[in-house]
Amino acid sequence: MHKSPKLVCKNVWKLYGDKPKEFLQSHNYNPDKRIIEENGYIQAIRNATLEVYENEILVIMGLSGSGKSTLVRCMSRLVDPTVGEIFFENIDMGKLTKNELIEIRRHKMGMVFQHFALFPHRTVIENIAFPLEVQGINRTEREKSAMEIIDLVGLQGRENYFPKELSGGQQQRVGIGRSLAVKPELWFLDEPFSALDPLIRKEMQNEFLKIQNSLKKTIIFITHDFDEAIKLADRIIIMNEGRIVQIGSPEDLIMKPADDYVKEFTEDLPRERLLSVKSIMNNQKQPSNSLTVYEDEKIFSILEKVLSEGSVSVIDRSNNIVGSLNRETVSRFINN
Amino acid sequence: MRKTKISNKIIFISLTFLTLLLYWYGKEIANYFDSKWLVKYPKHYSFPFAIYTTTFVKWLINEANFLLFTFNDLTRFFAWIIEQPYKIVLAIFSKGILRGQGQDAIQIIEPLSWISVVGIFFTLALYTKDKFLIILVVLSIVYLAVFDQWQSSMITLSSIIIAVPIGVILGILFGILSYKSKILEKIITPILDLMQTVPVFAYLVPILVMFGFGPVSALIATIIYAMPPMVRTTLLALNNIDPQLKESGLMSGCTERQLMWKVLIPVSKPTLLIGVNQVIMLSLNMVIIASMIGAGGLGYDVLASLRRLDIGGGIESGIAIVVIAIALDRLSQSFANLPTLSKKTQLTFYNKYKKIIFLLSYIISIYILGYFFTFFKFFPKELMINTSLFWEELVKYININYFDNLESFKITLLTFFMLPIKKFFLGIPWPWFIFVLTIIGWYFGKFKLALLCLVMSIFIVTTGLWEKAMITLYLCGSSVIIASIIGIPLGVWAGLNDRANKILTAFIDTLQTLPSFVYLIPVVMLFRVGDFTAMIAVILYALAPAVRYTAHGVRNINSQIIEAALISGCSQRQLLFKIKLPLALPEILLGINQTIMLALSMLVITALVGTRDLGQEVYIGLTKADIGRGLVAGLCVAFISIIADRIIKAGSNKLKNKYGIK
Amino acid sequence: MKILKNKFNILLSFIFILFAQNIYAVESKDPIKLTLHDWTGQLITTNIMAEVLKEAGYNVELVPADYIAQFAGLQTGDLHVAMEMWETTGRDAIDEYTADGRVVNVGTTGMDAIEEWWYPSYMKEKCPGLPNWEALNDCAEAFSTPETSPKGRYLGGPVTWGGYDDERVEALGLDWEVIHAGTDGALFGELESAYQRKAPIMLWVYAPHWAPSKYDGEFVEFPPYTTECYTDPSWGINKNAAYDCGKPRGPIWKVASSMLKDKWPGAYDAVEAFTLDSNEMGNLVAAVDLDGNTVEAVVAEWMANNKDRWGNWIK
Repeated sequence: MHKSPKLVCKNVWKLYGDKPKEFLQSHNYNPDKRIIEENGYIQAIRNATLEVYENEILVIMGLSGSGKSTLVRCMSRLVDPTVGEIFFENIDMGKLTKNELIEIRRHKMGMVFQHFALFPHRTVIENIAFPLEVQGINRTEREKSAMEIIDLVGLQGRENYFPKELSGGQQQRVGIGRSLAVKPELWFLDEPFSALDPLIRKEMQNEFLKIQNSLKKTIIFITHDFDEAIKLADRIIIMNEGRIVQIGSPEDLIMKPADDYVKEFTEDLPRERLLSVKSIMNNQKQPSNSLTVYEDEKIFSILEKVLSEGSVSVIDRSNNIVGSLNRETVSRFINN
Repeated sequence: MRKTKISNKIIFISLTFLTLLLYWYGKEIANYFDSKWLVKYPKHYSFPFAIYTTTFVKWLINEANFLLFTFNDLTRFFAWIIEQPYKIVLAIFSKGILRGQGQDAIQIIEPLSWISVVGIFFTLALYTKDKFLIILVVLSIVYLAVFDQWQSSMITLSSIIIAVPIGVILGILFGILSYKSKILEKIITPILDLMQTVPVFAYLVPILVMFGFGPVSALIATIIYAMPPMVRTTLLALNNIDPQLKESGLMSGCTERQLMWKVLIPVSKPTLLIGVNQVIMLSLNMVIIASMIGAGGLGYDVLASLRRLDIGGGIESGIAIVVIAIALDRLSQSFANLPTLSKKTQLTFYNKYKKIIFLLSYIISIYILGYFFTFFKFFPKELMINTSLFWEELVKYININYFDNLESFKITLLTFFMLPIKKFFLGIPWPWFIFVLTIIGWYFGKFKLALLCLVMSIFIVTTGLWEKAMITLYLCGSSVIIASIIGIPLGVWAGLNDRANKILTAFIDTLQTLPSFVYLIPVVMLFRVGDFTAMIAVILYALAPAVRYTAHGVRNINSQIIEAALISGCSQRQLLFKIKLPLALPEILLGINQTIMLALSMLVITALVGTRDLGQEVYIGLTKADIGRGLVAGLCVAFISIIADRIIKAGSNKLKNKYGIK
Repeated sequence: MKILKNKFNILLSFIFILFAQNIYAVESKDPIKLTLHDWTGQLITTNIMAEVLKEAGYNVELVPADYIAQFAGLQTGDLHVAMEMWETTGRDAIDEYTADGRVVNVGTTGMDAIEEWWYPSYMKEKCPGLPNWEALNDCAEAFSTPETSPKGRYLGGPVTWGGYDDERVEALGLDWEVIHAGTDGALFGELESAYQRKAPIMLWVYAPHWAPSKYDGEFVEFPPYTTECYTDPSWGINKNAAYDCGKPRGPIWKVASSMLKDKWPGAYDAVEAFTLDSNEMGNLVAAVDLDGNTVEAVVAEWMANNKDRWGNWIK
């Protein structure tokens, strides 16, 4: 797979309180949560280490207060981490000057916010063109690029509206448009759809995937909704009380939850719709059977086949046999 | 959408152009048509409001009769009711309990000594559990003793202690009444507007006549001046209560009265406390004026010092007022913000009232000690500090060394800034002015506002006070412009920087509570009598809201919007000019609005340094005890501020609506 | 010891009161309210009056009040005595409020008020012709400021004081501009400022006041005032205009509520008998404002030195 890291976080901590750096230092960079709280500090992020790969959708998942928003703000340096290093394209973000940081934001980053954070005193087109405006690009040029984006996010004909004249879904389209205006390489989305109605949310998720298919950005997506995470993610990071609990693909999380906390999330999910054959097959390659299923098919779609046939061979997309699956395994899985 | 914008622009430009034209050639045009009335409203057409008012008030006082009692009996009865608690408080803090009258009186029980009062305030501050506040409050009270302001301070404090609760209770009652009845609200609101905008000088004489000379009249004037915000906050608090709460109260079977006193009022307590805070501050603003009609106390000291040109004495007494104001303000604010702690059930009597018991025993022991050592009764004279000489020398030093520089600064500002504005306002023919004003009213508030502008400005013309009103506008206008030029950047600074905010807040609090009389005379010494001096005094006083509102506006922008701007690659400068300032604009407008209100209320006081505006007219009314003259001029001032207020508020709301922020 | 002494004092004063009541048949024990204004001279006169009334066994209370606003109180009987009402500034109010008899004029204090154009002595070098008013035009420029130049600047009293200075400048053909101060605080503030810098100034000063004793200077000598000067244009230098003369000088009156006479006739007589002359007053004011004594101390000293005089007032 595409394993070149676009962004790397190494041992990132964020504590709120008086002189947190000195406190961490005096506690050997590893104080107990209890000690942190007793000293009047609030632990927002605890020793986070992770990599974000090029062109992947990395979803950070956690309940409110789990530190996911803070983590993302550390990555964009909207918030300075207390200790730890963050590398963006091998550049140490902590060592950037103010102006270098502004340059990176102007050309390589975009962010979408939960409550849209549109500028109420600017029209749709002025909002979307804003990142270009602050770069000093002249009006005709930036409005031209902005119009392209307006087409992309489906807001044709509304470019001269003020944000408050739009519905929630439309407002978030503006937010998405604005974050894409600079053609960013790293795209942050902080719970972009959680303020929307369920139907609109679904529509926006699909649209988001469509956009990503054509643009292929490196995406860090925050949500507290596990369904959304599973639907969108290549990989998921689960956070709890500032700590990264588990990093892995959706299937990893379901099959091998790191602890009870993760398990609780995954328990009630319709697993046969989420997991693929690969995750439950046994690796004995039984060539005997003529019936085959693909390894990346979802379980529910092959249920009938397996249950009626008793056992099937599993093949990959190049038609090589990679394993097998029998009735017992499947029924055990379903009844589990 | 675009089309109306363009046509609005055309109208705006042509109106401005015509106005300028009329300002340059107004006189010529009037002369050409031989119609001088265009520039100067003819005297014989003015309606003698003043005379009628005087006659009416005189009739009211001398003859009005409600069968069983006269109007005079009624007002005297009110005065008597207010006087009783005042006497008690005064006895506790200042006079002691006396038997007999005048110099024969014998003190049976001494008033609280300075150490006891320090103890009382210390205990109050203890409830807030804020160390800094405790120190501040104690130091403030000690200041009063050390700078020899004790006697007067206690008189002033006593009147505050009476005026504030009465103002608060009446305020809440009127607030509830107007909450319950829309009709009453419609009646009360304009009265509140007038109470807040008619200069106090204008109604001092009628109050004196109705309630008699002395502290009671001063109390009543103070209450009139300080009560309106309480009514408004009560109404606001009640209207903002979550309707579900009200419904749950009703479903629990509350009667209407229970609903009000057991549900609505307790829920609105935090907002109500903000109102209380306002009442305290406004009452302290009245200290000086109240002393003119017999309140005595610190206000009298300030006036008397300045009469003697004892600048230092005036400053010491003035700062005593500031110190009391800041102590009471911070105390009441932190009571408003006090977290409601979970009540511990079954507290013993002792635990519940521990602090009060301690305080009482403390006071009693101080009394006993006072019998043996005078230190516990009076602050020793030899430890008192007097700074008169320092201030006098300071002003003298500036005067001798920098007068010429100040003078040339003043002349520049006068010729290039103030005089053009003055000419402008005096040059425009009054019918045109009223016309434009009505159009502006129409633009911002449609028919209602246009009508208001029209009626009020016609009233001003027919009183024959147009010219003075224009001078008022000019003085107020130039002061507000300069106050905004200074105040808005300071506000931005305070909004961006926490430390600056702390320093500036202390600074503008002082400016606002320090009686202007204190700096009026030094300013006269440095800038001579005239409009410029008046302008400086007005600016100093009216600066505060421009700073405060701007800081608030800049500070309170949604943090996600700021992040969105930052992630878009804004530099700090771009962030300020492209995002923060435009978004803070509605708030800044409200700040300017408040600045205008304060400037107008201050103009009356600047009549004391020789301006020729409506303020002077009000002041003449006061010094000649001409009830009608004062009231009518006062109404003109009130109308000007109401017009300005309505137009700016409508503008601010328009902006907020456009932005979709509330 | 101290407690005992206090108790003893209280006892003494009780006896004294009883005793006093026996000596003077006093009308009412309600306090007589005298008004205090904000200038030293008035504080002294009022305090002397109060002390004298106390000696006569009356109950006295001093109430701070505004010079004009107090009339409302005098009229209703909330206040009883105002010791200084100047002919020059209080005439209108006296006329208005004495009209219906509820306020009465109790006669003059024996002091005369002077009000006139005044300048500090150092200006005499620049304008040697002074104090004669005819020199005013020659040195108008010396008294000018950038705002009035080339005309001289004269700082008049508040408009409410009247004084007809605008008319006087017109009638006497002076190249001067009249600027009105708003209060006397502003008036003397400017004087203090100019005096510190030895800068030119010409302004309205009145006496008895501490200013003429604190600052070295003199009054301008205009053609002396007569009633005709103010009413008859043909009188005086300018045949076509009135006010071509100096300001009137006039007595300082005492006024009282009509209630005083009804309720405390003896006190009324005492107030009526009260007199002081202007010089004596000037010295007392100087003792307070220039030498830094308290009003109480100065009054006590006067009381001690003038027993015969005030004794006569309360006979």
